[in-house]
Amino acid sequence: MEAKSRYLKILDAVTMVLFLISLWMVFFYAPLEKVMGAVQRVFYYHVGTAWVGMLGFAVAMIAGVAYLRTGSRKWDIVGLAAVEISLVFFLIAIIMGSIWARPIWNAWWTWDPRLTTATIVELVYAAYLLLRQGIEDPDRRARFGAVYAILGFVSVPLTFLSIRIFRTIHPVVIGNSDPTATGSFDMSSAMLQTFLFGLFTFSLIFVDLLWHRIRMGKLADKVELLRLKALE
Amino acid sequence: MFAEGPANTVNYMIAGYTVFFTVMILYLTSLLVRYRNLKQDLDVLQEVEQRDEQ
Repeated sequence: MEAKSRYLKILDAVTMVLFLISLWMVFFYAPLEKVMGAVQRVFYYHVGTAWVGMLGFAVAMIAGVAYLRTGSRKWDIVGLAAVEISLVFFLIAIIMGSIWARPIWNAWWTWDPRLTTATIVELVYAAYLLLRQGIEDPDRRARFGAVYAILGFVSVPLTFLSIRIFRTIHPVVIGNSDPTATGSFDMSSAMLQTFLFGLFTFSLIFVDLLWHRIRMGKLADKVELLRLKALE
Repeated sequence: MFAEGPANTVNYMIAGYTVFFTVMILYLTSLLVRYRNLKQDLDVLQEVEQRDEQ
């Protein structure tokens, strides 16, 4: 098995430093929001984790197309890695959003279009992992995974656009919120800097984790091929 | 709430970031454990393969 590359070690270190700076910005640089108070600080990582979720699902969709075009197993490994990471981050985004909602909307959960579509996305990709496990043949599994990742991605832009096309209480971060939205706030320049720095940091966290997960996927692939060979 | 300044929502903020760190730590631990197990499996399978070749 290939050793951890020097570039990956550098990426690990840079990501960790940026993450610590981002944490400092969230808690000490960004000002306290005047109406919502401290819970508004959840916003920075709520959006950051949701961004990683959507980014990963997009990567999985691209990897699915690449697999169907080339038939190379490496794209299946990339797609699986992206979905797994995104599921974790999207779950965090949903839970953090629910915690933010409690003092602002006076409810942990409501079947609002954004929350509903986000739940559908999470379930669609959880099913992707479950269904993959039911297919033993690696090539069939990869083909199924590729098609599923492409079709499943339809739910992602629908979630992103849901707060812009439906009547909703979920605020829009960039652009105009629905008049019925609750929890909107005007971002000061320090808030905007913290938000954008967080998004950049989370993008880097995604790349770093994806690289690690792909390494693990290659190892799993090798183990599976050896196992199948041993069974012959 | 509006007249008295920011609402006291510190507990919710702590809960939110506790969830973030807990899930992240669990996921990173799962990656490490799975990677270690796969490496052990690979060693065993390579040993079996070498024995079969002999």
